[in-house]
Amino acid sequence: MASSSLENLETQLEMFIENVRQIHIIVSDFQPQSQNVLNQKLQALVHGLQEVDKLKSQVQDVHVPLEVFDYIDQGRNPQLYTKDCIEKALAKNEQVKGKIDAYRKFKANMLVELSRTFPNELSKYRALRADE
Amino acid sequence: MMGDQFRKVENYSPKSSPRGARSPVVSRQDSSGTLKTTILLGKNPSIVPSGPFYLMKEPPVESDLTGATNLMTYYGLEHSYSKFSGKKLKEQLSSFLPTLPGVIDSPGQQDNSSLRSVIEKPPVGGKELLPLSNIQLDGFRLHPGPLPEQYRYANATPIKKHKNKHKKHKHKESGLPSQETAVSDTSSETHEKKHKKQKRHDEEKRKRKKEKKRKKQKHSPEHSSGLTPSQHSI
Repeated sequence: MASSSLENLETQLEMFIENVRQIHIIVSDFQPQSQNVLNQKLQALVHGLQEVDKLKSQVQDVHVPLEVFDYIDQGRNPQLYTKDCIEKALAKNEQVKGKIDAYRKFKANMLVELSRTFPNELSKYRALRADE
Repeated sequence: MMGDQFRKVENYSPKSSPRGARSPVVSRQDSSGTLKTTILLGKNPSIVPSGPFYLMKEPPVESDLTGATNLMTYYGLEHSYSKFSGKKLKEQLSSFLPTLPGVIDSPGQQDNSSLRSVIEKPPVGGKELLPLSNIQLDGFRLHPGPLPEQYRYANATPIKKHKNKHKKHKHKESGLPSQETAVSDTSSETHEKKHKKQKRHDEEKRKRKKEKKRKKQKHSPEHSSGLTPSQHSI
């Protein structure tokens, strides 16, 4: 649903840009006989805006991080932002997994040592905590 | 003083406790609320002490999804990860949008085309978009002739050899004509060529003039008179 609507919007925008590009060519060396073509292109421009406006409702649920705009404004590839995000998420995921694993090992060692030192208490504890 | 303190500690130590290695029984209020007793009602009511340990609390509820799981796999983003981690991405925006005409790699703040400005100062909207009437179209009646120099090359795409290869490939696929790029490229190329030719021509002219001057100087009487007396004698 979202991908198809995005594709539609992309197509419409590409067509709009292409139309503007053609107007640029017509205008850059204007010939009197090109006036009708220019008028048609201008009407197509309005039509293109109407089409983009119609697609507005279909992309309401698309959320774009504001940081991406900074990348684009600086003339940088926005995929670099995605790459950075993925790398950061992966690093954090690994870090948290490391912490969880360390705590699990610590708990297991703790239970072993406690069972050696306080066997009675630990058996009671294990009885209370069925899952331990 | 110190001795008293040690004695006190020894009194409460599990070893000296009359119950052996068990914790000493000290009458104190359960402020932590962890010393619980479970009262079972029904046919056989009974009181079961459920918390023999100090500071024992219910363990936190374990969530299904934690950082211990590979979240990249969980959310099905492995493909995206391999896509971005494998290859080295190009810095420029034009490599992401190769078909977009014009210079797009320059900062948007330079020509007021930044997306930030659209968010911070949104354009006036809400009006219905209607086709232009004949009267309105009269406003777009243009004079024949080329655009002035400063506007003609302002929006031309920069010439990049490696990029053109990609573009050619893309246009072949999409079948879209690349008039403007071709026009702008050729025009800009010819423009550069003209400049280069002019420069070369000017340089050649200068060289010729210099040579002529030298020859004239050699043959002219002034040239001989320019020699020092010592040179004459030699």
